[in-house]
Amino acid sequence: MITTISILKKFIDFVNINLTAEIINCIIMIHFFELIKNGIGLSRIGKIKIHKSSKKSIYTPNIIIPFKQFFSNNAEFIDSFGCHDIFIISEEKYLKEEILNKRFGESFFLYTHYGTLQKFQEILEEKKEIFHNSNIIPIIPFNIPTISINKKFSENEIKNHLKNIEIILKDNPNINFGLSIKIYKDFDLFNLYISLIENNINIKILNFIDLFKNLTYYRRIIDLIKDIKENLDNNLVLMASGTIISNYLPILVYFGFDLVDSSYSLLISSNNLYESIETLLPISKIKFLPCSCLSCEGKLSKLLGEKHSTEKIDLLCYHNLLTIKNYMNKTVQYLHTEDFRNFVEKSSLNNPNFISLLRIFDKAYYNFTKNYSQLNQKNKIINCLGPSSYYRPDFNYFRNKINENFEPESWTKLIVLFPCSAKKPYSLSKSHKKFLKILRKIPEFPAIQEIILTSPLGLIPRQLEDIYPAHSYDIPVTGDWDNEEIKISSKMLIRVLNKFNKDIPIICHLNGRYLDIVNQTEKEIEHKFFYTDMKEHPTSNDSLDHLNILIQKHISSYLPDASITKENYLSNTWLRKFKKIIDFQFGSGLGTLLINNEIKYRKNKLHTKIEIFNSNTKSIIGNFEISSGKIQLAIKGAEKIAFEKDFLKYIVFDGSNISGNTLFRPGIIDFSSDLYTNDNVCIFDKEKKNVIGMGNMIVSSEFIKNTTSGRVVKLYEIKK
Amino acid sequence: MKLRNNSSRNGHLSEEIDHLRKYSLNRNRKFTIEQLNKPVSFWIKKERLLNEIGKEFTIILRTKGCYWALEHAGCSMCGYIEDANIDNVNSQQVINQFNYALDKKLEEINSDKCSYVLKIFNSGSFFDDNEISEDIRCHIYKRISIIPNIKEVTIETRVEFINKNVLKEMQKYLENKYVELGIGLESVDDYIRNNYINKNLLFDDFIRVTKLSHEMGIGIKAYLLFKPPFLNEQGAIDDCVHSIKTLLNFNIDTISINPCNIQKGSLVEYLWNQKRYRPPWFYSLFESFKEALKQEDFERVRILCDPSGSGSKRGIHNCSSKECNGNMKEILQNFILNQDLRELDSLDSECICKKKYDIQKYQN
Repeated sequence: MITTISILKKFIDFVNINLTAEIINCIIMIHFFELIKNGIGLSRIGKIKIHKSSKKSIYTPNIIIPFKQFFSNNAEFIDSFGCHDIFIISEEKYLKEEILNKRFGESFFLYTHYGTLQKFQEILEEKKEIFHNSNIIPIIPFNIPTISINKKFSENEIKNHLKNIEIILKDNPNINFGLSIKIYKDFDLFNLYISLIENNINIKILNFIDLFKNLTYYRRIIDLIKDIKENLDNNLVLMASGTIISNYLPILVYFGFDLVDSSYSLLISSNNLYESIETLLPISKIKFLPCSCLSCEGKLSKLLGEKHSTEKIDLLCYHNLLTIKNYMNKTVQYLHTEDFRNFVEKSSLNNPNFISLLRIFDKAYYNFTKNYSQLNQKNKIINCLGPSSYYRPDFNYFRNKINENFEPESWTKLIVLFPCSAKKPYSLSKSHKKFLKILRKIPEFPAIQEIILTSPLGLIPRQLEDIYPAHSYDIPVTGDWDNEEIKISSKMLIRVLNKFNKDIPIICHLNGRYLDIVNQTEKEIEHKFFYTDMKEHPTSNDSLDHLNILIQKHISSYLPDASITKENYLSNTWLRKFKKIIDFQFGSGLGTLLINNEIKYRKNKLHTKIEIFNSNTKSIIGNFEISSGKIQLAIKGAEKIAFEKDFLKYIVFDGSNISGNTLFRPGIIDFSSDLYTNDNVCIFDKEKKNVIGMGNMIVSSEFIKNTTSGRVVKLYEIKK
Repeated sequence: MKLRNNSSRNGHLSEEIDHLRKYSLNRNRKFTIEQLNKPVSFWIKKERLLNEIGKEFTIILRTKGCYWALEHAGCSMCGYIEDANIDNVNSQQVINQFNYALDKKLEEINSDKCSYVLKIFNSGSFFDDNEISEDIRCHIYKRISIIPNIKEVTIETRVEFINKNVLKEMQKYLENKYVELGIGLESVDDYIRNNYINKNLLFDDFIRVTKLSHEMGIGIKAYLLFKPPFLNEQGAIDDCVHSIKTLLNFNIDTISINPCNIQKGSLVEYLWNQKRYRPPWFYSLFESFKEALKQEDFERVRILCDPSGSGSKRGIHNCSSKECNGNMKEILQNFILNQDLRELDSLDSECICKKKYDIQKYQN
């Protein structure tokens, strides 16, 4: 408690708000879930502190293990699950101090009752002390009616259920609850729950029962999740229970579920099914046990040919629970350190409905997803598996940003289209080195706009080859593009080329299916296209010679506006890059205000970042971080663009000075609606007259809008 | 056949039951004159009497049917309307049915050393004049009153037909016998009873007639439906335990637990066909008894349970093993006959399905 209060006091000092003791207590009670980091899609890493007095937190996503009698009797179970983070108890007999606070004192518990709500209420009343003083949260059940016969029936039942629940919640204002949510087949009935959830701050967990039971309702499932995110506090913990097997985990985590109940593993065990992650196999079929758990290595292997027995079910329970637990560990590991989206795509192949879910979600819900998804990753190779990767949110974000924010350099005289390379950034590849060798011979090299066509990102202007995901994606290159890839690239190419003067010639140094992109584009725009005479492949000497000839021929056929001054003209490749990266990150045109020929840069010793500074004033504008491909503006840099009306990456802090390294939600009085996870953001003082800090967004504008607590910005510079 | 999706009466269960019922009644065959002069069924078997083990003589009469099912769709688990004639069955025919059964068994009853309970069921309400008129009732009372071995008489009726007059009339003839009114209370929970069973009965009304009957020296036998539709196993246990405990407080004389079975033409059958309802497990029933009752309770209440179709897939059952279900039936019968809770723990070896049950019970 002392720790909590001291942390809180620091926090209060930090946000500079004068709070009464009452409010302090209120905040302590409210504080339950804390978002640590957004992952891709709706996935997130968070922290739960179930009880105000507990020292330990559990991290989400996490799997909930059913706490059963055999568990406490079986040594193997205790070895494997004894230290697990979170259990669900469904039998009253385990609601004992001795179990919860002593024997399993390091773990957290959920309690639910599988019978009537009335019985649950009786137990709650009887064991009130335990719910007040232990690491346990009661989950209000919704078991009855088990089924519905029509929508009106469901509606009446839900309304009646909510009426009863309201009483429980009001009678126990000091107990945090989980709320079970059942909607039968009528997804819009979720609306009935919303006001109850909004009006009762002691609801901390939303437990969705069987939401994923019928995956063919994928659109409705997504709509429901969208509803939750948009209409309810984003600090509510989302829990999935009911029909869930291992291969659901990546997709559940991707869709933002923080806790997953694994109780269904016991049910499949009782039906003699063996969890192989990809699918469920009848134990009678199994000849080669694909696992080395204590059960599979031991007795289960000997009992394979035997009749079903209680012992066999126990052994299956052990294996199935361990498998789902391990698979959750793997899922969380990928979420923390790898390209999680790739893992989700791979695992979605286990069920065609998962693929549909992902595709629909990518294509039709991007505007929603981008508010919750991580859109930039560090130090990761982004492997594209095929069509399922085309519209991942970070790729969509990249394409949209190029479409919206990329503007031609005013001195451009010629455009050259190149194929992509396997090595990233492109300019380090053998092929692009050869292209650049030709281009750099041209004295007016900076007047050539290079555009690299690629799948599935569409196109990448040379200046943006170092940003995410252009600098780190990988896709199997066979030269065989499908129609969707062609469509993505040509659509984008039309959009980008239309930004250039129509008299600027375009040279296409392309072959194979790349030409299909250009063919489709050519029909739609007025520019003139010239094709290199491709001999064998783009890097053959003949092809390169012809490229050189074409460039020489057309470099002077278009003359840009004569008003371009020397100050405006950038010849340095990195300066050209920085300018476009700033446009990409902060908005079109802002790069011009920051980057000019006075700007110099230097790489650090470890070659992890490039410092950008003004050579006259020596003030640092910002740092280009190579791993993330992002410029982290320094306050000095931000001051030059932050007061522009088009600058939308800001937060207004409720005070004139900021300290510490994290900005929390309560300290924010205003914010731009254009903030996304990982965005570089500028913190204004209360009057919006000074830049008082710089940081990276932990969450998005949408999260700030939908919450009252939590971490918002990770600060890296504050004004002293 | 499909349920209608757009129910105009606010999704009320009765509309759906009504729809199924009409479908079922439309294909109802007509009964011949011969059939109308004989009861649906009658039998003698071992039964627990108030204070001893005796026998039951049960007669099931065919009447026009339960008005609740005929006019208001009826209860969700009930398919007895399939046995009814729908059109009126005249008084003489009902009397003939009763006489036929009684005459066939009278000698056996008279010569038996055991005491008997006579159960007259008409798959509706015994006190509903449209099913069984006053004349018929008096005829029945008169004939029973002179059979000394019949110590107890049980009839069944809906609460709305119970009034002072019918009870007085009954008492007049049967004052030397213990009379019990069987009432389908199903659950003490009004919501479950009316929303999932469509019983249209309030617990308060049940208590009102209980008081009236007790004042007149007539006993009450409350039927509880074990695992109504829309309840899961644990929910059924909770509801049953709650009901038994509540009824004990109201001094109900007999509590008869009826595990839900799949009756033809019922909503429950419709749900069962879709695998959305499973009749209860024996394990749940036994657990309810153990949780709700203490041995001393049997001093003031009689617990009955004689499940129809038990052991079959349409009735209360565990797994598909005959041996397992057979054992359960035997335990249940011994428990009821002896009114001894210890009987419920008398199983020598547990079937593997107990493990499955323990797991499946704790699932949504």
